[in-house]
Amino acid sequence: MATFDLLAQGLLVALQPANLLYALIGVTLGTAVGVLPGIGPALTVALLLPVTYKLDPAGSLIMFAGIYYGGMYGGSTTSILLNTPGESASIVTALEGNKMARQGRGGPALATAAIGSFVAGLIATLGLAFIAPTVVKFALSFGPSEYFALMLLAFMTVSAAFGESTLRGLTALVIGLALGLIGIDQLTGQARLTMGLPNLFDGISVTTLAVALFAIGETLAVVAGHRFGGEKAQAIKGSVMMTRADWKRSWMPWLRGTAIGFPIGAMPAGGADVASFLSYSAERNFSKHPEEFGKGAIEGVAGPEAANNASAAGTLVPLLTLGLPTTATAAIMLAGFQQFGMQPGPLLFVTNAPLVWGLIASLLVANLMLLVLNLPLIGLWVRLLTIPKPWLYAGILVFATLGTIGADGSTSMLGPVPVSFGLGLLLAFGVLGYLLRRFGYPIAPVVVGLILGPMAEKSLRQALQISQGDPMALFHSWIAIALWLLALTALLLPLWLRMRGRGKVLAQLATDED
Amino acid sequence: MRLDSSLAQKRRPDRAALVIAAALILAAVGIGWSAYSAGGIATYSPVGPKTVPYIIAVAMFVLGVLTVVAALRGDFPERERQDVGPMVWVIGGLAVQMLTMKTVGFSIATGLLFAATARGFGRGPLWLTIPVGIVFSFIVWFIFAKGLQLSLPAGPLESLFF
Amino acid sequence: MKHFFLTTLVSGLLTLSAHAADYKIMAPAAPGGGWDQTARSMQAALQDEGISSNVQVTNVPGAGGTIGLAQFVNQANGDPSQLIVGGYVMVGAILTNNSPVTLEQVTPIARLTGEYEAIVVPAASDIKDMAGLVEKLKADPGSVSWAGGSAGGTDHITAGLIAKAIGVDPTKVNYIAFSGGGEALAAILGNQVTVGISGYGEFAEQVKAGTLRLIGISSDERIEGIDAPTFKEGGADVSIQNWRMVAAAPGITDEQKHAITAEIGKMAKSATWQKTLNDKGWADTFLAGDEFSKQLNKDIESTTVILKEIGLVK
Repeated sequence: MATFDLLAQGLLVALQPANLLYALIGVTLGTAVGVLPGIGPALTVALLLPVTYKLDPAGSLIMFAGIYYGGMYGGSTTSILLNTPGESASIVTALEGNKMARQGRGGPALATAAIGSFVAGLIATLGLAFIAPTVVKFALSFGPSEYFALMLLAFMTVSAAFGESTLRGLTALVIGLALGLIGIDQLTGQARLTMGLPNLFDGISVTTLAVALFAIGETLAVVAGHRFGGEKAQAIKGSVMMTRADWKRSWMPWLRGTAIGFPIGAMPAGGADVASFLSYSAERNFSKHPEEFGKGAIEGVAGPEAANNASAAGTLVPLLTLGLPTTATAAIMLAGFQQFGMQPGPLLFVTNAPLVWGLIASLLVANLMLLVLNLPLIGLWVRLLTIPKPWLYAGILVFATLGTIGADGSTSMLGPVPVSFGLGLLLAFGVLGYLLRRFGYPIAPVVVGLILGPMAEKSLRQALQISQGDPMALFHSWIAIALWLLALTALLLPLWLRMRGRGKVLAQLATDED
Repeated sequence: MRLDSSLAQKRRPDRAALVIAAALILAAVGIGWSAYSAGGIATYSPVGPKTVPYIIAVAMFVLGVLTVVAALRGDFPERERQDVGPMVWVIGGLAVQMLTMKTVGFSIATGLLFAATARGFGRGPLWLTIPVGIVFSFIVWFIFAKGLQLSLPAGPLESLFF
Repeated sequence: MKHFFLTTLVSGLLTLSAHAADYKIMAPAAPGGGWDQTARSMQAALQDEGISSNVQVTNVPGAGGTIGLAQFVNQANGDPSQLIVGGYVMVGAILTNNSPVTLEQVTPIARLTGEYEAIVVPAASDIKDMAGLVEKLKADPGSVSWAGGSAGGTDHITAGLIAKAIGVDPTKVNYIAFSGGGEALAAILGNQVTVGISGYGEFAEQVKAGTLRLIGISSDERIEGIDAPTFKEGGADVSIQNWRMVAAAPGITDEQKHAITAEIGKMAKSATWQKTLNDKGWADTFLAGDEFSKQLNKDIESTTVILKEIGLVK
């Protein structure tokens, strides 16, 4: 029971008043920066990390944990309220969350996100504390073949995000896949579709694309429809808190999201975005209200938000046990840990036990602080929507472009004029985002294609190269076979349901509910 | 400046949709040609660096053709009336920001974007919103560039103070 | 309490705005890889030794560092606060990728370390030593999958050289490029590939913990503190050193170059840096100024020959 002793000691330190204050400051700063549209968690953590350098190790660690969770949560606030996700993992949240906000249910959407994040963070942090070695073993059993099967499953299931038209959904996906081709091919070093532009060698950044399609595209769509009334300002209707029904519909998605997010976050090539996609389609399948999806189903916020946070804790598993940072945020955290004198690796839990448990205790406390800070603030956040549109959208554009230019400071020449290539891409994809909206194309599949396409291609080619071209290698493990079967089910089940008369099934589900 | 496309919608074929289809087909051909003209490399994998581009090119081509069919049948959803003028203000604001950012610095370039966006939403006058935007952007620049070490371009205004 | 809150914020906001000697170091590789470790160790040394108050590390991964190099040449021009970490890998990658930018476009400052290439197998592998690997390669080169960094990098070159040295067609090496040492390490730990080849530092923690077996190292002679025979002892006459360097932006003045060289020299002599070298098993091969520039040009020439010979460059 040495584990419990160490955790208790860590908690005692973390619960000292001064440290609680640091946690609160961290959470506040993290939320304040993370909430700005277009600035995702990676940038938030990178920006705020130096602030913690001034404190003693314990305070520094706990403030850092607060910033981390605050930044993660802050991003979902603006995704839900303004449809401006700052990173790929919040896209799914925006899908249902923003629909809820438009119906005046922004409060419950934010609440289910906050509480879901808390529940997922709590369970996943405990998972990190007690089953990290097992999880990392499972995560390492994922090789190229398994990743390819996982990507196939993700492709099959995200069709849930395609909206009403299959043709337009698929077109959006293929546009994303084509954008994913741009850049230098990692396996052979050949340039593809770069048009000779060095700025395109590293491909299209997911963050730039997401911010452009959502934040800029949304602004253009709103301004173009403004004079005709467009959509009414999203008035706040009813309670800002969750109703009993909301609770009833949220708790299972929280748990499922955690179960999906934690292991996927732990995979070296997993990540919060893949976890949130899978959680969204799982919720759609399990929901008793599948007809509400795409129109503001609370499950579609609760699940992915939980998955998002659980995978953030999952990321810490390979980071702490192998020294393997698997996401941009994790890489920045690695720098932070080294700052605190931790050298992540297989021996970390043995050689550096007090610090590790201090970190875990800090994460638990920061997680709690996040809830304490943000639940009462929901009413205030929702008021964001009452800011007059001219100032609101002008502000959104300021921060969206700030995030882009801060992350990519490259300068290119447009004739004699030095310009920012990143801002150029932002503008071009912003216009694309507007056109997609205008002609009824869904936005999310574009980003999904950009994320999953290159991962799928890379793992397929790596798998086939390892097997010297034998395609049977793609089914070489039970995990791979299981994922293939799941993917096949995901493909065939909707067809089968449609043939059996989907309406009947839905009607039956509806009566079950009543 | 009003683009009254609800009228166009009633017209079949849907011309805008035909333009989309043409763009898709053109892009498909471009991707396919680009893969075709790239050099080859020997690996143990039967799936090389060209395979996936070919697949995507074919898929995009097929979707383009299907879009033509959808356009002819008028399958696209009805479009709301749109106001192009305000949108031009916002796009123009973004373009001006992109063009001036590296020369005049973050605050002025972003201040112009701020004012143009507000103008798009019908708020003015520019002589008031431009200074307001620049002051706002300068505060943002100070917090992020000076306080948080984000590398944001500095121009004459920023170097006046620092 | 309140006082501390303010102090934290104010110090956070103001002390960081000190302008002198701030550095931005670009690691043109994915987090966890060799260049990333070099950049982050530099960050720690520069800050701990008080040479620079604020050092930021950015990762721009891919294609043997040429993506990062291109971006660096593009955006750092004339900016003396920007540095890029690079190394021998880049020399090869520029050739294999037909990179539009070359190392001649940056301002080389100093060679910092040299690291030897190591070959590891999972602890449970049936390959016990270098001789076992040589035997397997001779029997069927395709059946041995190698996980390492980007195509055409030092890892790839070393694998090719080993094949050539034992009389196997170097073009038959089944080399699988991962985007960084971290991803390759995961593939080896997960038993996805036969062997892993990379700088010793990337495997050190795992070798210490016993999860990976070190079967050979690319030095001329055995190294103190590393319990492994050389490639030569195992029957493959190959010795190679993967050096790492730091370079400054193109278009800086001679004065700026001297100032940076002096600061990096100070860092390289510092206790923090020496401890890092020791901890990570990196050899101190510090070389600065014109001598380094000459050495670099020599390496570029010889690498071109080697790459053509083993079929990586046509």
